[in-house]
Amino acid sequence: MRRKNIALTASAGIAAGALGLTSLALPAGAQDPNLPRTTPEGLVSSVLDAEAPAMAGTVTVDNDLGLPALPGTGDSGEFLSAGEQSLRVWSDGQRAHRMSVQKDNGEITVVDDGDTVWKWDSSERTVVEHPDVRQRAEAEGSGADPAELSRHIVGKLRDSSSVTVDGTTSVAGRDAYELVLTPKPGERTKLREVRIAVDAEHRIPLRVEVEANGSAEPALRAGFSRIDFGSQDPGLFRFTPPDDARVRTEDPHGDAERHGRAQQDAEGPEPRTTGEGWDTVVTARIPAEAVRGAQEDSRGGKSERNLRAVLERSGDPVNGSWGHGWAVDTSVGSAVITSDGRVVTGAVPRQVLIEALKEA
Amino acid sequence: MNGMTSRVELPSGTRRRESAPLGRVIRAELGWVLRRPRNLLALLGLTALPVLIGTVIALTGTPAAGSGPRLLSAMAGNGLVLPVFSLMMTQNLLLPLVTAMVAADALAGESASGTLRGLLLAPVGRVRLVAVKAVGVLTVVVLAVGLIALSGALTGLVVVGGDGFVTLSGTTLSLGPALGRVALAAGWCAVQMAAVGAVALAVSAMTDHPLVVMAVAVGGLIVFGVLEALPALEWLKPVFLTADWYSIGDVLSDPIRSEDLLTGLWRAGCYVLVGMSAATALMATKDT
Repeated sequence: MRRKNIALTASAGIAAGALGLTSLALPAGAQDPNLPRTTPEGLVSSVLDAEAPAMAGTVTVDNDLGLPALPGTGDSGEFLSAGEQSLRVWSDGQRAHRMSVQKDNGEITVVDDGDTVWKWDSSERTVVEHPDVRQRAEAEGSGADPAELSRHIVGKLRDSSSVTVDGTTSVAGRDAYELVLTPKPGERTKLREVRIAVDAEHRIPLRVEVEANGSAEPALRAGFSRIDFGSQDPGLFRFTPPDDARVRTEDPHGDAERHGRAQQDAEGPEPRTTGEGWDTVVTARIPAEAVRGAQEDSRGGKSERNLRAVLERSGDPVNGSWGHGWAVDTSVGSAVITSDGRVVTGAVPRQVLIEALKEA
Repeated sequence: MNGMTSRVELPSGTRRRESAPLGRVIRAELGWVLRRPRNLLALLGLTALPVLIGTVIALTGTPAAGSGPRLLSAMAGNGLVLPVFSLMMTQNLLLPLVTAMVAADALAGESASGTLRGLLLAPVGRVRLVAVKAVGVLTVVVLAVGLIALSGALTGLVVVGGDGFVTLSGTTLSLGPALGRVALAAGWCAVQMAAVGAVALAVSAMTDHPLVVMAVAVGGLIVFGVLEALPALEWLKPVFLTADWYSIGDVLSDPIRSEDLLTGLWRAGCYVLVGMSAATALMATKDT
């Protein structure tokens, strides 16, 4: 019967459409590729030795760190807050880069044409120009031998962790080795392991996963969700500020000097580290005023932006012979901020931090 | 060409006509759809909306950065954001509502007024009947989306001004490519609305009550919105038609952020396939 045929064909259409929709919800099931075996040293060395290829890709950062929203951290704070973020990156394989992040209200694009870095914020229509970054970066860069450096790095890591190449994986459709760092049993850390996927062909890291104890899902996963190697349109790495945008030029030297002095005035001594390997604890100082009560905030800032208000909301008050403070626990680490402006933090349980405070 | 006409007694000597010419049927349907006052009023209202938004923005200025809905703050001094913004605002509820209204009239409305029986007996195949009705719905969708884009672009150019169109990535486009971006957004939006229309047409074939069609279409979109907000259903999100609707603003990035847009097209295509197949199956098996 003709009508029956129509109904059958139409049912097949429904099934095909439903299948198409299901294919969107199913994760792309890629098999772990077969790659020649390699050693951790060889892998690290090849990464250090690799030249950055020209590529375009999308990096997805999936953050489950459980950090409270910190005041005054700006754009970086947005990345630290929980959730998924994605950014597009381009590189010409030599010295030019481009990156763009989508925000709720527009986009931030950073273009590094090799000499000047431009930062464009579409929601505020502002351009910040950083000239001469190259000179500084080159001055800071060191030309160590990659093989020597990798032996050094892996050797250092082996003191506190077992470093292994845990088979292969597939990231954004590319074959990759997986380098795994696991803390040795004696390490007092909240982390279970750190996994780094390295592209088998180009030897660049494609994905980093930080896994914490007591959680099956990674606390932090940052990696390419799409990547294409190959030469890129040079126009991508040029930037001309739009006509009506506000352009601010950042003077790197003056700014660094000013910043440095302000830092010395406010923070006193440089941050110190205690402990080794995974239970390294960083001790720093912040201006004690920042931790004072909201009503004493002389600048009249909003109380939500006040660090103390944040601490009182999301931290636990702790007391001891070392003083009084607040402890903030996240899935990957903890921090204790004392009322006199000492900050200790690390990828460790709270007790380790308090021991460090007692010793200090 | 079909089973149902065989039951009609034909006077002897008359050459049996297989089916009415498609062009004439479509013309008749379009005339019917485009002469309905409520459809015309809906189109008029949708055309007026970008003018309204543009005027308000010209009078009051854009909100400060960081507040207001997506894209709104990018509109300052940038006329060609207005049509994309208008499409983004209307595609959440207004456009689906108008689409569902036309789809409701197409089959359920005929059924309610008792005229569907005549259509089923007329010398037009049932697949062809669904196709003709779908063309009617699609025409209104394309007209509605086109009118919003057109009136938005014109308002934007007149009220906000648009010499040199700045993309969200900070590059400057000339008028031609900028209008191309608006056309791209309009085309993408039309495909999404076609998906709504196809599903609404399937519901329309199922029921005799036009109101049910509108309730299901609009209610379905609201349910998608609610479910999207539940973190436990994150894995199901790619199936929701509305999942990537905000990504229409991605045409304003440079280069165009195409991933979500393409996923959205694929998804809408699947919905069109499901909706049209279901509508055809329901009509083919419907008793006269």
